[in-house]
Amino acid sequence: MRQLFLTLSFLSLLLTASGQDKFTLSGYVKDASTGEELIGVTVWVDEIKNGTTTNFYGFYSVTLPAGDYTLNYSYVGYKSIQKTVTLSANTEFNIDLPSEALEIDGVVITDKPIDANVTDIKMSRNELNVEQVKKLPALFGEPDIIKTVQMLPGVITAGEGTSSFFVRGGSADQNLILIDEAPVYDPSHLFGLFSVFNADVIKDSEIYRGGIPARYGGRLSSILDVRTKDGNNKKFGGSAAIGTLASKIMLEGPIKKNESSYIVSARRSYADLFLKMSGNKNTVYFYDVNAKVNWKFNNNNRLYAAFYKGRDDFSLDGTFGFDWGNTTGTLRWNHLFSDKLFSNTSLIASNFDYITKFDDAAQGFIWNANMKEYSFKQDFNYYMNPMNELQFGYHLTYRKIAPGKIAPSQEGTIFKDTELAKLYSLEHSLYLSNQQTVTDKLSFEYGLRVSIFQNVGKQDVFVYEDPYDNINIKRTDTLSYGKLENIKTFVNWEPRFSARLMVSPKSSIKASYNRMVQNVHLISSGTVPLPFNTWQPSGPYLKPQIADQYAMGYFRNFKDNTYEVSVEGYYKDMQDVTDFADNAEIFFNDDLSTEFRQGKSWSYGAEFMAQKVKGDVTGFVSYTYSKTQREIPGVNRGEAFNANYDRRHVFNAVGTYEMNDKWTFGASFTYTSGRPTTIPSGRYEFGSNYNIDLITERNAYVLPTFHRLDLSATLNPRVKKDRNWRGQWVFSIYNAYNRSNPFTVYTRTVQNDKGEVIDPNKKEARMVYLFPILPSITYKIKF
Amino acid sequence: MKKLLYTLFALALVITACEKTIVLDQMQTEPQFVIEGLVVNVDSTQYVKISKSVDFYAEGTTPRVTNATVTVKDSEGNVFNYVHNPWGVSVYDGVYASEVTYEGIVGRRYNLTVEVDGETFTASDDLYRVTPIDSLVQEYDPEIDEEDHPERKYLVKMYAKEPQETKDYYLFKFYRNGEEVNSDGGEFYYANDDAIAENINGIEAPGYYAPDDTVTMEILSLSRLGYLFYNDANLLINSDGGMFSPPPANPRSNIEGGAAGFFQTSAIDTEKIVIKK
Repeated sequence: MRQLFLTLSFLSLLLTASGQDKFTLSGYVKDASTGEELIGVTVWVDEIKNGTTTNFYGFYSVTLPAGDYTLNYSYVGYKSIQKTVTLSANTEFNIDLPSEALEIDGVVITDKPIDANVTDIKMSRNELNVEQVKKLPALFGEPDIIKTVQMLPGVITAGEGTSSFFVRGGSADQNLILIDEAPVYDPSHLFGLFSVFNADVIKDSEIYRGGIPARYGGRLSSILDVRTKDGNNKKFGGSAAIGTLASKIMLEGPIKKNESSYIVSARRSYADLFLKMSGNKNTVYFYDVNAKVNWKFNNNNRLYAAFYKGRDDFSLDGTFGFDWGNTTGTLRWNHLFSDKLFSNTSLIASNFDYITKFDDAAQGFIWNANMKEYSFKQDFNYYMNPMNELQFGYHLTYRKIAPGKIAPSQEGTIFKDTELAKLYSLEHSLYLSNQQTVTDKLSFEYGLRVSIFQNVGKQDVFVYEDPYDNINIKRTDTLSYGKLENIKTFVNWEPRFSARLMVSPKSSIKASYNRMVQNVHLISSGTVPLPFNTWQPSGPYLKPQIADQYAMGYFRNFKDNTYEVSVEGYYKDMQDVTDFADNAEIFFNDDLSTEFRQGKSWSYGAEFMAQKVKGDVTGFVSYTYSKTQREIPGVNRGEAFNANYDRRHVFNAVGTYEMNDKWTFGASFTYTSGRPTTIPSGRYEFGSNYNIDLITERNAYVLPTFHRLDLSATLNPRVKKDRNWRGQWVFSIYNAYNRSNPFTVYTRTVQNDKGEVIDPNKKEARMVYLFPILPSITYKIKF
Repeated sequence: MKKLLYTLFALALVITACEKTIVLDQMQTEPQFVIEGLVVNVDSTQYVKISKSVDFYAEGTTPRVTNATVTVKDSEGNVFNYVHNPWGVSVYDGVYASEVTYEGIVGRRYNLTVEVDGETFTASDDLYRVTPIDSLVQEYDPEIDEEDHPERKYLVKMYAKEPQETKDYYLFKFYRNGEEVNSDGGEFYYANDDAIAENINGIEAPGYYAPDDTVTMEILSLSRLGYLFYNDANLLINSDGGMFSPPPANPRSNIEGGAAGFFQTSAIDTEKIVIKK
């Protein structure tokens, strides 16, 4: 019924699209100095009091009756410019937007306000300004957008030192993390101290916590969409940085001026080099490489190729090794079928794998697991008229998961070649959405996504007498499926809806509803995923996870859009969230399906955010109140319990102060309720000297409050005339007042300073604290 | 292997981490019965121990339960009655001994019934055969450096054959001159045979040993539930509190009626070696 209604309304739109003589004005908006296309630039037409924004590829299109028009192009961090055009034919109109720092003659600067916070239909969404991220204090001086994501309203962290985040009651695996449209399955370096995103190559990143557009799907709780730079197509340049923990280099430049460019960057940590020098046989390092090339043949055809590879390597004593990493590749073709119909075709590949090695004559093994994903995406933007912008497309994804394989590391060890069954799946998604301006006050964005998920062969599916019995596992049958043969199909309709009503020129009310479906399930039973967790597709024993989210908010700007304020409330209802039986064996288990427990989860909260976007001082403060619970059959006696990332109050503040051309200061502060955790209520003796904890309730204890202040200072020394490069110093202090923040709490039998047990009948609780005060220095050059 | 992974992770974090003993509130509980029984395939007195749990911070040994009625019945209908502390020595309070000696028979199922204070607890376990230990071999390693025991320069390695046609679960126990070596109650040694090949060539026993030490190793068969009990108990003892490891949870047990612990039946093989200089 609902689908029928949508179809009809689309049809009626198409009918109204014809009529008087209209022409299309379209083009790309670029950074004037680098040629980078800019995403999300507001294009406002004074005469119709309406406008559009550039899409992910910097393209915009407006269709208007013949006449004279005044167009305003505005974007944060750039000078807003005004152009007048006489439209009497379809016109290609590319714009070079000068950045705020750039002195430029001959363009008309407008004072058109940048008030997207209020006027944009999107809510529960934040753009991450990477330039600001670079000025903020960072752990070991390595700027990291994920650490800024973790400060946003509605986003919770499990603790410092992890790259995981939890959005509006969703677990860490419910975030779709994209780099140039390719999914990143594990965003962590060094077990989460850093993320895989190198700030030097990021052009634009945004996160959706709600009101998620129909073109995104596959995860319940959020979309973090990171897009890298294309490379300067006007002149060669680059940067290099030496930091406390890692060094990096980035080069970019034209292959053919204005038409084709490249960017490459590499980053590597080097603590291991010092370890090696000190004769230590342990090693730990990570590296990553980003590379991208593009050819802009003309406005109608553009080709991009992007590549990412990152890897962590950890080895102990030369005998134990562990390494993991992501590799992604994206091939993208932008094509204009007409100046109203923009097409993006992408081929995407993503691989995540890990290897664990133990080199020992008796117990040596090599264990590896991987997950591969290949996607084809066809997306269209159809700029029907200024009132209606359509997006539609088709995505096809093929996944192959190899959950684990063990082999002896050498002849004669106790291990034999053993492999867990591989898992395959195919997913088709179709979507259609329209952003409709109803009146100059009211706008809608409505759409529908349908996901058709198939768990396919080749696979042997076991049939169990009781599929939830993980003790006496009785297989009654084995069903064999051939290559690509359908095992189980799930079809899910995902409606999406957003509305924006201007209540005054400076304020608006927004509301949204979205249904999200997730068909890949992370096999992790801790709070924070580890790099050696694997994923499983929906199938005979795992239902798709489904979330319905309702959100409403009030948005207001003050003082000429200097301050942006928002208040949002949400309620999220999740079905069949994936959890695990108590003591589940999630590693190398042939009967893993007997450990799955799916249940309900619900979350609600209120989020406040105030942001200052202009002036010497910029930054934001955010406060979130939220509550998240789970009810999983067979876990905690079937009673509801607080999710382990359910932190009730979260307050964050982030700011930078540009004192003068030389000095910029940054600070960030966080104050968060403790994380719920499970502690024992009692103990009992068993065997000789064993004392075992008695557990009565899941997550009933709340760890102490977490708070921390980080500071930074950036020094830009004066540029010497005869030099064509600029230096920069970044000083950071992490945990400035050296607070001992709780990371986790565990229990043990009381030990003395030597680690010896004196009395086996005395237990104690131990609190683990992660980072003391940590200063760092980074030196960077730009050329 | 799994534990190795968690340990590894913990290691990565200790670079800068520190920890302190803290006192938590809310750590009280209703006392719960704890039952621990073992029937082995050796003709001998068999034992069951019954105690109660205490609050987490309670000190000293846990209370022993001395007034229970304990019987074991096997699947052939033989009934064995147990008596409380027949020796009358207070250190054996809470220990129930079989009235007669008997031998657990491979292939039989054993059923335990405990009646105490109007409550009844039952448990069953199947007795499986065990793989014998072929041999224990000592190995000198000059790099071993135990601060308090500089004479301990030897390690002991085990050789055995793992039967490939059956699914087996094992518990290992190690003794130095009769005293159990188990990291002060910090570690259970247990295994399943997933991914394990036939030849077990030199698995290292925990601990280091000095000349003239008698090293005893026991291999005991476990049922699957027995294996899960030890696995869960080991996970709980070594839990990081649920950050990376699973949330702490009580071990799965075969005891019905709400008591903690485990009733275990095992075939056992023992091997000894006296360390020579």
